[in-house]
Amino acid sequence: MASTQGSPADTAPAAVATPAAAQASSGDGENAGRRHLSRREVLRRAVVSSVALPFAPLLPVEIAYAQPQAPTPIGPLGPAERDLVVRMERDLERALAKPVDQRKWVMVIDLRKCTGCNACVNACRSENALPPGVTYRVVLEEEVGVYPNVSKRFVPRNCMQCDNSPCTPVCPVGATYKRPDGVVAVDYLKCIGCRYCITACPYGTRSFDFGEYFTAGTPAVQPYETQRPSFEYGHKWTRQGTGSPIGNARKCTFCLHRVEQGVLPACVSTCIGRATFFGDANDPRSLVAELMSRPNARRMKEEAGTRPSVYYLE
Amino acid sequence: MAAIGATGSRTGFAARAAFYLVAGVIAVVGLVALADRLLLGLKVTALSSTITWGLWIALYILFVGLSAGSFLLSTMVYVFNVRELERVGRLALLTAILALGGAMVFVWIDLGHPERVLSVVTSWQGRSVMAIEFVFYAAYIVLMVVELWFLMRLDLAAAGCREGVRARIARVLSLGFRYPVTTEGYAAAAAAAMRVAKVAGIIGIPLAIGVHGGTGAIFAVVVARPYWNSGLFPIMFLVSALASGAALMTFLYATLGRRDDGFLPTLRRLASLMILFIALDALLVLADFVAGAYHPGTEASATLGELAFGRFSLIFWGGEVGLALALPVLLVALRGRSAFWLGTAGLSMLLGIVAVRYDLVVPAYVRPVLPGLDQAYRDSRMVYEYIPAASEWLIGVGVVAFLALLLALALEILPLGQDIGRIGATRRSS
Repeated sequence: MASTQGSPADTAPAAVATPAAAQASSGDGENAGRRHLSRREVLRRAVVSSVALPFAPLLPVEIAYAQPQAPTPIGPLGPAERDLVVRMERDLERALAKPVDQRKWVMVIDLRKCTGCNACVNACRSENALPPGVTYRVVLEEEVGVYPNVSKRFVPRNCMQCDNSPCTPVCPVGATYKRPDGVVAVDYLKCIGCRYCITACPYGTRSFDFGEYFTAGTPAVQPYETQRPSFEYGHKWTRQGTGSPIGNARKCTFCLHRVEQGVLPACVSTCIGRATFFGDANDPRSLVAELMSRPNARRMKEEAGTRPSVYYLE
Repeated sequence: MAAIGATGSRTGFAARAAFYLVAGVIAVVGLVALADRLLLGLKVTALSSTITWGLWIALYILFVGLSAGSFLLSTMVYVFNVRELERVGRLALLTAILALGGAMVFVWIDLGHPERVLSVVTSWQGRSVMAIEFVFYAAYIVLMVVELWFLMRLDLAAAGCREGVRARIARVLSLGFRYPVTTEGYAAAAAAAMRVAKVAGIIGIPLAIGVHGGTGAIFAVVVARPYWNSGLFPIMFLVSALASGAALMTFLYATLGRRDDGFLPTLRRLASLMILFIALDALLVLADFVAGAYHPGTEASATLGELAFGRFSLIFWGGEVGLALALPVLLVALRGRSAFWLGTAGLSMLLGIVAVRYDLVVPAYVRPVLPGLDQAYRDSRMVYEYIPAASEWLIGVGVVAFLALLLALALEILPLGQDIGRIGATRRSS
């Protein structure tokens, strides 16, 4: 807009009127008698208008487009919320405004969208700084059909955060328990490491931290394994010696430490196919509440009576 | 054993020396391995996030079973008045106490955080079968110690009247109980001991069933493992416990029992009890196979297939069927008049029962709980194969050697009955 610098048309209100000004200038000859514009003024307006007009789309959107007509939203969602990630983040904000016992975190995984890229698996490992032997999320691959007529389907699996969790009652010290928001948590400082809960999980979602490092056996165990913390349960955990979380049962937390800051779980944020959804089932406006009630929503091994909080869209 | 006298023959001395040397060395190696395990954590094991319980848990249930089996055998004497078994009553109680101690060591070293073991008391969670079992173990061990002390107190008080180190230990162990000066006093004290033993035995029977049946229930309640999740499972634990207890007593009595007129009848009685329990156990295993393996394609039948024809077939046929069923039955049937072969039958059963315990625990883990889970992620601690690591073997054998040393020590200083000798000191009387 450097060319129009200093001209009255450059100020915002004037810019709104720019199309009108251009129109006015095109009909200049007819109105000349009424307005008595000088030739010099007419020329100046014509030059300014023709130079400014192509730049009009660059002006602030609200101002440039508010004028012709008010926005008409499609359905109950604003345009921004039509992006599912933005919508889920708004869902989180609403849930976090409520007390913890009124939230119910659930995950919905759309199997038709999963490409089996394993980005979620790696995002999870990175987010939680997971050591060898500990995995919270994997993608199961299932081959269907007989060669040459085969296809593959992918089933991402993390902790089901069961409402009737088989892993919690078996704990002899009550170190693993169901939180009011539905997440099954482990108190690392209480867990004695008996691994009964790992045995009891019908989904194989729990792991044991043996205290190993990927870089063990190389010239040096790298500090990113011994000093880079994981922030599970909102604390800072570094893995050294035999101290917790080493020697503990470990599991997916639905990334509570992120969620409670209004950030989606790492696997949800990373999903390239937008196949994993997360939110508050107690909020009827949330995306997950809408998805989990669909007729094609299933839960894994429901016959085990576990009542999982992870739903699959088939 | 004071009653047998301290003058061992030369063969007796050599056998004793060899026993103490070998057991001592193995126990020290085990202690070193234990220190290593406590410093480094569970990464010294071959366990994984998929096969989470292995050799140590198998040995834990083995020793709980030996304890319950031995104790229940002792109740045959003190509750059901089976005269022939009177000679092994105290020995059975003592081994029951030691075996439970061994079981606790195995379950303790299997913890990821052994230093937090007292949390089981301080934050006890009563819905967990494991937590409930620890209450059973505690009550059971107290009961057994009280019972054994009452049975020994007259002999301890008598031994305390003499001179020497053994007498001094006996005086300490008698807890101030004085030897009765009158015959009536002696009779009253002896009757009181038998009454206590009877009451303790009666309380102890349901307790011991709770101890080992309950240990079976730790596994049986796990819905995620169809191989364990049946009502038969705790009963199998219990019956094989009885078999293992009878086997232990058969082996120990054949080795330690004084060779007199009552020796062979007692030994034969023990061996025939062992065969009875082996037969019952075989029946239960058969029932488990019939119901579980009939329909192919289920998880239970696949696991039983692994057992009979798969990765566990060698342990199953060699250990469970060969050592714990066929060999003892054949030996008792064909060589039933020889103390040596009856003792060998007991030993065979004891070795076989290790295989039985191993096969109760590990096969439940070798199939992925979800189809494709074994292929979904590759990691050295997420595997479906398990061969116990050196540390697991060394600690396992070391604890067994340590228990054997404790038993030998107890045989030296405790009055366990006039018919039980010191380790290595019995051959001369045969």
